[in-house]
Amino acid sequence: MALIIYFFLFSPYRWWMVINWLQVLMNSLVWGCMYLLATVGLSLTYGLSRFPNFAHAEYITFGAYMAYMFFSILGLDLYLSVGLAVLSSALLGGLSYILLFKPLKSRGASLIHLMVASIGLGLLIRHTLMQVFGGGILSFKMIWSCIFIGPVVTTPLLLTAIVTAFIVAILLHILLMKTKLGKAIRATADNPELAAASGIDMDRVSLFTWLLGAALAGFSGVFLAMRSSLVPLLGWKVLLQAFAITLLGGIGSFYGTLAASFILSLSENLGVVALTWLGLSADYRSAVAFIVLVSTLIVKPEGLISTVKRRA
Amino acid sequence: MVLEVLNLVAGYWKIPVVEDISIRVDKGEIVALLGPNGSGKSTILKSIMGFAKVFKGRIIYNGLDVTGVPANRLVRMGIGYVPQVSNIFGSLTVKENLEIGAYLRKEKVEDDVEEVLEFFPELKGMLRRRADSLSGGERQLLALARALMGKPRLLLLDEPTASLSPKTALNVFSKIVEIRDEGIPILMAEQNVLKTLEVSDKAYILVSGKCIASGSSEEILKDEDLGKLYLGLK
Repeated sequence: MALIIYFFLFSPYRWWMVINWLQVLMNSLVWGCMYLLATVGLSLTYGLSRFPNFAHAEYITFGAYMAYMFFSILGLDLYLSVGLAVLSSALLGGLSYILLFKPLKSRGASLIHLMVASIGLGLLIRHTLMQVFGGGILSFKMIWSCIFIGPVVTTPLLLTAIVTAFIVAILLHILLMKTKLGKAIRATADNPELAAASGIDMDRVSLFTWLLGAALAGFSGVFLAMRSSLVPLLGWKVLLQAFAITLLGGIGSFYGTLAASFILSLSENLGVVALTWLGLSADYRSAVAFIVLVSTLIVKPEGLISTVKRRA
Repeated sequence: MVLEVLNLVAGYWKIPVVEDISIRVDKGEIVALLGPNGSGKSTILKSIMGFAKVFKGRIIYNGLDVTGVPANRLVRMGIGYVPQVSNIFGSLTVKENLEIGAYLRKEKVEDDVEEVLEFFPELKGMLRRRADSLSGGERQLLALARALMGKPRLLLLDEPTASLSPKTALNVFSKIVEIRDEGIPILMAEQNVLKTLEVSDKAYILVSGKCIASGSSEEILKDEDLGKLYLGLK
């Protein structure tokens, strides 16, 4: 005990320890925000349309490539490029709902059919992007200066991601809790038949949710690509985390997704610390998401906040 | 006449569940669909609401053919529906359930909520509670209240007293009579035969998807053979 107290209070490494933990918290906050933007659309569309859309990963990637095209190739203003990229992702999400998933659902497609269709759509989008932009690593030609907040290092990009995610979270809260459309989204996710029997036009509500979800996914893709680099598997790399968050938070639950994004992000970053201490590669951080996903399915399959009724 | 179902054949996927059913609901009436489990009562209501497949026949509402019209458009036309199960939005609050009931109205619904709460005083003080925290009886009242928020001109009720205690069921029946007295005709599927025949004006007896008898509730109640053979009455 005395050794531990000495280590934390008097060891020459004590400040390193403190800086590290604050940085871990900062990294968790940043990744939590990224995950929130990437996942909230997946969770809402899963809740409404009752199937996991694997093509959601490609909405993330598509947004990033569109921003790259508008900004780095066409030379448009950064903010305009991001805005157009988000709109493009929304359009892709809307079209995939109108042209693929809605017709399949109206013809009674099963969960498996819809899942396979979403995987096929994802591959189609990914390979189209590879044909157009090549399969190599691309990057936004931007240099981000470091910002020191006490012992924590960050960049303007990451701070923007945090602010954006918080604004999006507040706007989504207002949308879902205060507006008629938001309540209709929640009602439809809860009980689609009763929603229709209350006069809700489920097609319109679903289309809006698909547009919104894909737009936010595209937004997260822009941040992910600007933070590191742009590759065709950009979205695919966070899809496991996105599903883990969706299940942990409760399918279709915005507040569950909000909480689960930060829980998973913190778990991953603590996992990285543990892996480093154990002398293992930090590449195993994805295993944390896998563990969270499996644990959720075993311990609390309805997630933290349940909105969608489990089927017998 | 408010609703007329003509020679309906309906079911799910490719399988008909009810065959050649004709029903009529007039103004100011409670019309009951009676019969054992699996007799097709719920399927008739679902086919009117567009949730079950209509293979043959027509559904006429206020002179308009509404066969196959989607549920959200039927609600706009004035048909309210309370399903047997999953008849509330469990993850929404009681107040939000009521607001969703009035989804199609553009104006503020605060006054309507107050009005409905006068009709269902049991729900007062529960507005902020999640609907899935309510008891079975409270849920059923909320389901009725939600449907009334839409100001329906015809109400379809699917076994509104299923799984309720006798006392709670009586309360629900008295509310149903009050709703009828307010001028809203009701088509109701029920298994509580005796009480339903007491409160209804007309009844149709269904067995294995076919209508084996119909008439005024008073007549059916007096028909001892029918009661013994099909309705479990002694």
